[in-house]
Amino acid sequence: MLRAAAIAERAGVPSVSIVTTPFMQQAAVVMKGVGMPGLPIAEYPGVPMTDGPDTVRAKVEALMEQIVEGLAKPAVTTATPSVEPEPRDLVFRGTLDEVQDFFYRSLWTDGLPVIPPTIPRVERFLEFTKRAPGDVIGRLLPENRAATVWSIAVNGVMAGCRPEYMPLLVAFVEAIAEPEFRVQDAGSTPGWEPLVIVSGPVARALDLNHGQGVMRVGRQANTSLGRFLRLYLMNIAGLRIPPGAGDKGSIASTFNVALAEDEAAAAEMGWTTFGQDQGFVRDDSVVTVQSVVSASPPIYTAGTRALDHVQVLAEVFGRACAYWSCTGMKYARWQPLLVIGPSIAKVIAADGWSKDDVRAYLHEHVTIPAREAEKYAWHLGSTAFSLRAQVEAGVLPPEYAASGDPDRPVPVFVKPEWIGVVVAGDPGRNQSKGYCNNHIQGGRVSKRVALAR
Amino acid sequence: MTTSNREPVYEVVWPLAPSAAAFAPLASRAPDLSGKTVGELWDYLFKGEEIFPLIRRALAQRYPGIKFVEYETLGTIHGRDEAELAATLPDQLRKHGCDAVISAVGA
Repeated sequence: MLRAAAIAERAGVPSVSIVTTPFMQQAAVVMKGVGMPGLPIAEYPGVPMTDGPDTVRAKVEALMEQIVEGLAKPAVTTATPSVEPEPRDLVFRGTLDEVQDFFYRSLWTDGLPVIPPTIPRVERFLEFTKRAPGDVIGRLLPENRAATVWSIAVNGVMAGCRPEYMPLLVAFVEAIAEPEFRVQDAGSTPGWEPLVIVSGPVARALDLNHGQGVMRVGRQANTSLGRFLRLYLMNIAGLRIPPGAGDKGSIASTFNVALAEDEAAAAEMGWTTFGQDQGFVRDDSVVTVQSVVSASPPIYTAGTRALDHVQVLAEVFGRACAYWSCTGMKYARWQPLLVIGPSIAKVIAADGWSKDDVRAYLHEHVTIPAREAEKYAWHLGSTAFSLRAQVEAGVLPPEYAASGDPDRPVPVFVKPEWIGVVVAGDPGRNQSKGYCNNHIQGGRVSKRVALAR
Repeated sequence: MTTSNREPVYEVVWPLAPSAAAFAPLASRAPDLSGKTVGELWDYLFKGEEIFPLIRRALAQRYPGIKFVEYETLGTIHGRDEAELAATLPDQLRKHGCDAVISAVGA
């Protein structure tokens, strides 16, 4: 919204933006990031979604002076770009405890102790990439800092990564810098978190866990790779919770450990790997980043036929995603992820089902009453959302407005190909788990890992 | 890292990176909106369908001849890629003769 105002201003059209009070700090980060710290704002007090019509009217009346002033009065821009350190500048010298305190007070950590980023440590990471330290991979909104290779190494050190992880860290940042990832929305109120899926030989070489406890902290590669992304979003995209700003996740969640697939199990049962599903060959080392906004319960399924399992997967994974499906229906992109336990995948595959068959079944059998999808969208803030309008706009297929019955069932998963399927977890238990992503925010992006050695 | 008598001392670098923000001045303002055209940019969130009509009425009472390009015309600004928005919005504003815009709702 503020970015649109900035674009109008650059085009010579004056703007005023209506921002609610709880978002004023985040607005300041965005305005600085777009290079217009003085963008005029009219501050709507409170939360519109809990205001009745009379309150909205009264608040808008009270806003009018700010709106008129924002459009009419020449703004005084006092902020000038501050002088910041160069990459090799030493910003602090102290003991381990003093470094922790300094970094914590500076809002440069996730609250856990970090490995001090000394120049020798950073240089060891740089040995594992062919890219120059000053190479800029992209720029990360909202704070809009340049994602340099040097900064990747620094944050990799801090996160507790090993130097040999550096090619993956670079690939992560290449992924989140792509426009379809929409890093500028990584601080939105749903509080989504990136999830990394590592595919191919590099996962084995770096000892990533794909088995029992795969999504738990404990294995260095899985844990520190996941932690790196959270630190990088904080420090380069500028997404910080209070007393910082920029991250408006209302309740939010903490970082995900990196996920690896049990590719040997997938191969044994004749299934494609997740990397192949993303368009790569089995021997490619690939990272995929996407958002995760919530997880399903653990899904236990039993039986000797594929249907025994996919029916329950559809019920539980489907219910876990149904509430949030309105976002996929609104934004025309939504990529939930299903992690199927190896023992379950084996039964499904042995019955002749491919991953695509599982996706097709979920698409066909998981539905939500139209009335509920529209209700949840309204509560979320999409106050003008309607399925019929989405169909008329060509965003959704006609089946979403097939009748006027408000209780008509509509598919939760708009397109089967949006559902990711990964084989991972405890081979000794019959459990799967689903992950719901945040529509176009944190869209699934894959990058090949460029190994320097 | 250097070593003191008691425990190691670390010399550390900055974990941030250079700002890529290109600072730019604001556009010239519109001191009198009488007879001017105001564009509405909406992210299709948070009751804009209630808020914009109220603003229209209030501005119309103050400024004779003021016109509005309503949000349906300019389309949603939420969910569009930065590059796409930057490529299309200026042309849209020119096409519709917008002298000013109101962007809402940030929440």
